Amino acid sequence: MISNEYIAKIEGHGSLKIDWSKNTVKLNVHEGERLFEGILVGRTAEESHWITPRICGVCPIAHNLASLRAIEDAYGIKINKTTELLRDLMVCAQNIQSHVLHLFFLALPDYIGIDRGTELAQKDPTSFAKALSLKEIGDEIAHIVAGRNVHPTRTTAGGFHKIPAKEDLIKLISKLEETADAAEWTAEFFSGLEYPELKVDLELVAQDENEIVSSKTGAQFIKDYKDNIEEELRENSTAKFGKYQGREMMVGSLARMVIDGLGNSASKWEKKLDFENPYHNNPAQAIEILQFHKKAQKIIKKLLETEMDASLGTANVEESVAADEKTLGVEYQGIGAVEAPRGGLYHEIHLDKEGIITYANIITPTVQNLTSMEKSAQAVLDQHKEKSREEKERLMNMVIRAYDPCITCSVH
Amino acid sequence: MRLKKTMIDKNKKPRVAIYDFTDCEGCEVKLVSLRERLLALEKKIDIVNWRLGQERFESGPYDITIIEGTPIHHHEISLLKELRENSKILVALGACAALAGIPGIMPEKDRKVWYEKIYSSQYHPAGVDAVPLSAYVDVDFAIHGCPVDEDEVVRVFEELLAGKTPSYRGFSVCFDCKQAGNPCRIAEEKKPCLGPITQGGCKAVCVSGGSPCYGCFGIREEANIPSLVKILEKIADPKTVERYLTMFHNRTKEILELKDNEK
Repeated sequence: MISNEYIAKIEGHGSLKIDWSKNTVKLNVHEGERLFEGILVGRTAEESHWITPRICGVCPIAHNLASLRAIEDAYGIKINKTTELLRDLMVCAQNIQSHVLHLFFLALPDYIGIDRGTELAQKDPTSFAKALSLKEIGDEIAHIVAGRNVHPTRTTAGGFHKIPAKEDLIKLISKLEETADAAEWTAEFFSGLEYPELKVDLELVAQDENEIVSSKTGAQFIKDYKDNIEEELRENSTAKFGKYQGREMMVGSLARMVIDGLGNSASKWEKKLDFENPYHNNPAQAIEILQFHKKAQKIIKKLLETEMDASLGTANVEESVAADEKTLGVEYQGIGAVEAPRGGLYHEIHLDKEGIITYANIITPTVQNLTSMEKSAQAVLDQHKEKSREEKERLMNMVIRAYDPCITCSVH
Repeated sequence: MRLKKTMIDKNKKPRVAIYDFTDCEGCEVKLVSLRERLLALEKKIDIVNWRLGQERFESGPYDITIIEGTPIHHHEISLLKELRENSKILVALGACAALAGIPGIMPEKDRKVWYEKIYSSQYHPAGVDAVPLSAYVDVDFAIHGCPVDEDEVVRVFEELLAGKTPSYRGFSVCFDCKQAGNPCRIAEEKKPCLGPITQGGCKAVCVSGGSPCYGCFGIREEANIPSLVKILEKIADPKTVERYLTMFHNRTKEILELKDNEK
């Protein structure tokens, strides 16, 4: 039916089912199942990082890198320094692209009284020009390094089919310098917005090197991701709902801020963040835009200082991760993890002798956030009792949007 | 999939609805990546319905309905039919809508097994099958690509808004490849490629990046698919060729016909 039952301005189809008499709210997910873990089986290792970016057009680079890492882990492939730097640069691009899209086009309208993000062009042309310049630099880095702004074409197991020319990197540096003010302004602007009051006991979780770190319970190894991140089936939902050791978890920018540690070097904006208020994921994303913008410049300078190495890492039988003996017919297995814009992403891939995928498991950031999103919507109902139904609904939609959910990813 | 007649009144701002069915939403991201060109386009149309971009929601009829994604969910199938009834022009945006694309790799007969493996045997699926929009309704025009190319989106819109019938590209990806200065994957590198049977206009972005062409821009008119398959089978084993043909085209009529003829 032609209707507007789904939450607007989020990626994918979700809805809130509110029972006003009981004062409860449930989050339902209505995206169709594409069954990516089945699609991958029977395809080759080299096809995995081609297929998985299509899980999400907003964070395709994250999926691309997670699959590449899973394959490289399985075969014991070591990548060279140039590849490592270029991939870090892709992560910078991915975060800038995704956060800019979310903040300016999906989240900001809630705070300044417009509907479609592009209405900012008339309301405040200077700010809109800054937003567009950041979208452009994110897209441009992705294009130069990964081959295209959406769905990479240059990456391959062990490295890159093609690495960027130094002239192109020099051009990127000057574009980054031109947009430095816009990045700084974004952090300042979103830190200065007034966010709704909400207090939620959040367990913030983010990856750190080879570990998964929780703000409440410390670290676990990424290789044990399945033992710690559980996925529950729900009635009326095509997405599974994730929990961390049985508890609601929140992943993404706000979680990374706390897990990376707010030391003395923390900016004035970071110090203003409230880690018990999920709406503050938005200023955290804005701060990250600035951080990734600066990091991108550093990486490019490093790349320009040295001779770039276009060689591919090759499989190393001794370091390959063999399957345990009980998994018959499986020769190699690997896990690839990435901090995607919305949080920790995990791809696990098993391959047979011929390099054909026999098993795949994918846990996306939004799966991990769904349970906490529902808890936060409930907190709005509980803590804003005096407000009208209409206002409560607005605040609930806003808190769902603040998580920057990718329902598309959550179902996959 | 061709517009039979011009249906847009040039003197009025057309009412446009943008929908996304099950997919990655990367083609809508491409719309946002148009940046200044999106603003220019918005001045010429009235977007009355776009869930990803706005709260504003108006019922049909619509002059132009753009649909991204594959109608997998049973709700999407009925919505698609209703949208067709309520739209003068229905445009498929991107490979999922036009071809079934990557989701179409999953055959209908295998879905049950995967529901059990990925969810559980108790799970009640919402999905039916991953097929192109054209499996259920007439599609007036397809903007191809996984994802779509920004320039192609602008070109098709300009033609539609000028009251013209948009045209498909009459050349193959090989033409784009030559322009990009790429060595030929098939002739020089002895690697499989679907470029010769694929509609151009993509700027050969995948081959230029070092990746294969899997044909996401749609099979071009008058393509000789069996001849290309013969050539590819000289440089790759049949299973590899099959994997190329099924990356985006597992559910398109051209490839289904090819398989039928082989039987």
